[in-house]
Amino acid sequence: MIKDQAIIKKPLNILEKIEESLERLNDKMEVIIEIQKTSGDNQKSAPGLPEASLDVMTLLSMPDHLRKTAMAICRCTKATAEEIAEQTSRARAVESAYLNQLVIMGYLKKTRKGRKAYFYVDRETTG
Amino acid sequence: MGKIIAVHSYKGGTGKTLLSVNLAATFAKNGKKVAIFDLDFRAPSLFAILKAENSEVWFNDYLNSTAEVSNILVDLSSKISGGGKFFAGLANPATEAIRDMSSKDRKWEMRALGRLLALKESLITEQGFDYLIFDTSPGLQYSSINAIVAADFVVVATTGDRSDVDGTKRMLKELYNLFEKKTGLVLNKVLDASATSKKSEIAAKIKTSYQVPMLGIVPCFCEILRAEGNLIFVQDKPDHPFTKILAEMARKIADNEVN
Repeated sequence: MIKDQAIIKKPLNILEKIEESLERLNDKMEVIIEIQKTSGDNQKSAPGLPEASLDVMTLLSMPDHLRKTAMAICRCTKATAEEIAEQTSRARAVESAYLNQLVIMGYLKKTRKGRKAYFYVDRETTG
Repeated sequence: MGKIIAVHSYKGGTGKTLLSVNLAATFAKNGKKVAIFDLDFRAPSLFAILKAENSEVWFNDYLNSTAEVSNILVDLSSKISGGGKFFAGLANPATEAIRDMSSKDRKWEMRALGRLLALKESLITEQGFDYLIFDTSPGLQYSSINAIVAADFVVVATTGDRSDVDGTKRMLKELYNLFEKKTGLVLNKVLDASATSKKSEIAAKIKTSYQVPMLGIVPCFCEILRAEGNLIFVQDKPDHPFTKILAEMARKIADNEVN
């Protein structure tokens, strides 16, 4: 019986690892897609540039679809794409793409905890 | 769950501070726990109206992250009857402080928005406040827009003045709408608004003109001008029509009747 459980557990672990890798791959792909979409003449959107501040005037000048996401993240300290999707009543994949776009634009930071990606506004960095 | 209310207007002199103070006092008179904040850092006035000139810590310090909110709140509950709690977060009127607040950069303003949003957790969730009222500065500037973004409901004060009407309309369309804010309009300083027929006529006109819900019509009262900001009107004149209008506004906000 115990042996049976061990036999079942092994492929389950492997499947979980595969799922985890796929999710990471998916996130990376979303970022690449967003970079391609926004690259070209808009240098501000290139990654690695100094962060931009997500202040209210910036919020005002954003396109509506991004403002909705940005407003939702402003109200949380840290949130996953799923939590933002609950607030905005849009699909998780949509919010994930917008959140990653905001990360690329320098308005948000992204961090990982296990398999989950958390997004947040970095209000602490001075400058 | 408590609410954050921002009181805003396009032009100055529309009665924001008068409405903020008296709305806060009305809630406190109804037994609620209320805090009013002066976000007009360029022309602070709440300290004078509430006669709390001797403060040593200010709302500025909270936004600058050099003080916690519990340290900057002034307890003025003794000024109000009715068992409620009435606190104030005052803007520092010193010229130096005004200059300092006028020269903040975008990064600071972003942190200030974070500090305003954090009040929901620290005061409403943890300390059981029912209402936080932000008395803002007029027009489109950082401190006001920060307050609007952080608020659950925006009270827009306006007068019949031509220069105010167009700007207010634009603000409703291009500011509150973009942030998906619930708003209620207060038409202040209205002449000959005592007759009921006149009132409903004005209300209908406002609704078509501004396309937003009406929160109240406040006639022009000479007694308010005469008081020169020296009293909390709803507390000192409980039977005055102004007090009754404010009580009705507070009821509409409490019952979520402004839709």
